[in-house]
Amino acid sequence: MTDSRLYESTAILNAALEDADVEIATKRITDFITDNGGTLVEVNKWGRRRLAYPIKKKFNGYYVYMVFEAPASMLPLLERFYVLDENTLRHLTLQLDPKLREFRKVRAEAQALRAAAMAEASNKM
Amino acid sequence: MPRPSNNNARSAAGGSAPHNPNTINSPFRQKRNQPKKRVNPLKKSRLIDYLDGKFLSRFTNDQGKILPRRITGVTALQQRRLALAIKYARHLAILPFVAQDTR
Repeated sequence: MTDSRLYESTAILNAALEDADVEIATKRITDFITDNGGTLVEVNKWGRRRLAYPIKKKFNGYYVYMVFEAPASMLPLLERFYVLDENTLRHLTLQLDPKLREFRKVRAEAQALRAAAMAEASNKM
Repeated sequence: MPRPSNNNARSAAGGSAPHNPNTINSPFRQKRNQPKKRVNPLKKSRLIDYLDGKFLSRFTNDQGKILPRRITGVTALQQRRLALAIKYARHLAILPFVAQDTR
């Protein structure tokens, strides 16, 4: 009955908020997920980024990326929560392909290695 | 019907060029220079991540439009996934719908 699936969700929060308020806003989202039968796997705050185009007359956004497991029936509730939440400018929730997750991990590691190598090279210089 | 004549044209124009069975079956194609062989810029099994703006922007022009497969040279499946990924990325303001700096 209660088959849960792996989802990923990205939300763009209002970057005009103070850091503490951003913290509270992300906590509200994560709490909402856990309160409605989901279990968080990963929460990744990408931080403030420039938007490719203005959304609600704002040029910057605070990106929060979450991976969670939840029953499918929870998603409409999350959707509604996002829409009603005034601090969220945009959101996107998708089912996460484990292959894609693996791929991102591998690439992030490769990138970290490369960055480390670069840093070492510049230190030697 | 167009097959035999096209084959003739190909052997006449193409000469000893390597025969490519994938060329579009058009008599006009062979009269021009032999079309360049497209090289797939990605591995066939390469996954497409909609959160990776830098990677996706390689498949858009500087106006932000999605490039056709004719130009990108990726496989049909990859092109479909790219198009979808670019659209997701646009929704999340990772990629622009229209780039403003180019008029």
